[in-house]
Amino acid sequence: MSALYLYPRWLRLWHWLSALLFLVLIVSGASMHYAGTPWLLSFKQAVPIHNAAGIALTLGWIGFVVGNLMTANGRHYRVQWRGLAGRLSAQARYYGYGIFHGAPHPFAVTAAMKFNVLQQLSYLGVMYLLMPLLILSGWAFLFAAYLPETLFGIGAVWIVAMTHLTVAYGLVLFLMVHVYIITTGETPLTNPRAMLTGWHRETEAPAHR
Amino acid sequence: MNDTSPGPRRGRCLAALMSLMCFALAAPLIALDAAAGSAPLSPPAHPDNRACLRCHAMVTLAYRDGDTGKLVDLFIDPRGLAESVHGQLTCVKCHAQDYRYYPHPPTATSEQLACVGCHTQDPARSDYPFQAIAAQYAKSVHANSDDPQAQGFGCYSCHDPHGFRVSTVGKPLAEIVQDDNRVCLSCHEQVRDPLSDLHRWLPNREAHWMAVRCVECHTPPAVGADETQRVSHRILPAKESNLTCVNCHSGNQRLLGRLYAYRSREDLARDGLFAKAVFNEAYVVGLSRSPLIDALGLVVIGLTALGLMAHGVGRYRAHQRSRERQP
Repeated sequence: MSALYLYPRWLRLWHWLSALLFLVLIVSGASMHYAGTPWLLSFKQAVPIHNAAGIALTLGWIGFVVGNLMTANGRHYRVQWRGLAGRLSAQARYYGYGIFHGAPHPFAVTAAMKFNVLQQLSYLGVMYLLMPLLILSGWAFLFAAYLPETLFGIGAVWIVAMTHLTVAYGLVLFLMVHVYIITTGETPLTNPRAMLTGWHRETEAPAHR
Repeated sequence: MNDTSPGPRRGRCLAALMSLMCFALAAPLIALDAAAGSAPLSPPAHPDNRACLRCHAMVTLAYRDGDTGKLVDLFIDPRGLAESVHGQLTCVKCHAQDYRYYPHPPTATSEQLACVGCHTQDPARSDYPFQAIAAQYAKSVHANSDDPQAQGFGCYSCHDPHGFRVSTVGKPLAEIVQDDNRVCLSCHEQVRDPLSDLHRWLPNREAHWMAVRCVECHTPPAVGADETQRVSHRILPAKESNLTCVNCHSGNQRLLGRLYAYRSREDLARDGLFAKAVFNEAYVVGLSRSPLIDALGLVVIGLTALGLMAHGVGRYRAHQRSRERQP
């Protein structure tokens, strides 16, 4: 039995708040985008909900970045370039083949690194590429009055809208894959439980897996 | 009888005063008779607009032009003038100083008015780049048409300097559209003739006329240095105007974008920065719609969901197999 305290309280709070905001933003965003669809919110309800949740998500994202700068949690987001390709292919092979054949997990969770390489790269992409794009395009929507009418000969608001839409679809995909992949720990509940308690517990010592 | 009512004595005083005033008013006319021909003879009018409007506020003030035979309307609506962008200006600020004399001397009536004389490039007002406007106008069909009706066309052919008002944020959109189109239709009245063939190709023609400004289709999209401007002053001939529905209705929706930007400014002006962030009322339904991205997004999401389910089923079976193998 091994136990590592990997998720400090601020991180767990941020995580579950973001999770809630993601759901609210997806439902309210879809209600605005597909306005008039019967089982969604009304357009009038959706707009202030989406805007308020978006502002909260922005604050949360700033909190996440500041938290990673100020605490040791940021170390998990530093890419180890050496052997990256090998680790990537090992991880992909595990998810695509090994996982169905009882192969050992190619990555061992340690205090120094809690993410496998695929996890780390996708989190980096989401938190430092997609989220800033989403947040910037969202705020640009709110304050479109300050945008030029066109950018590169294309309507500025249209560029903002398409960026926001594309990134939103990308993040819905991320959420789906994230919720599924997180069940591929030692048991399906190993990882979700760790995000609730902060403690990553495994029955076997990592070295033997 | 109370103290405030005029007594007989006071009445006599008033009558004397009135006759004095009549004489004062008539004096210039008497002088005019005495020295006919050597204009200007009236003392210069006070530079406020009252003297001008004494005549020009008369609805019927007009004369027939000897050369063209057309009636030239000289009436200025005083209320329209007061509410216009030029409401604070004196008449002789734009018109020749000699107009202060009556009868107006020929030096005044031969004046050439030029808007750009006052409206030069003001660096503080980047939203009104008059040099760019002048350059756009030079390419406009109004500046280059051979049509005799287009002769002498200038800024004031569309922008009535005595009544022009800037569309201010907060004014209902429908009103802005109608006000703008009225300018075009004051000459192009045949366009709205129900029997006219013009615009027959346009689906929902009447709906477009109610909701869209003429200039949205009859000007080229702003590019480069013109981008600071909302609408170009280069009015296109019919053949070059926008005939492509998707330019506004999908793809790069420049009209929707412009509408969104206007409503966004309206929100900011009404609610301020913080309320605007939450209660953003500018969002236009359909603004973010892109059939391509929507289809791609939903297909990829659907395929991913299927893939994840298949993966899950595979894992479950592998788990069952491994349990069967273990005693």
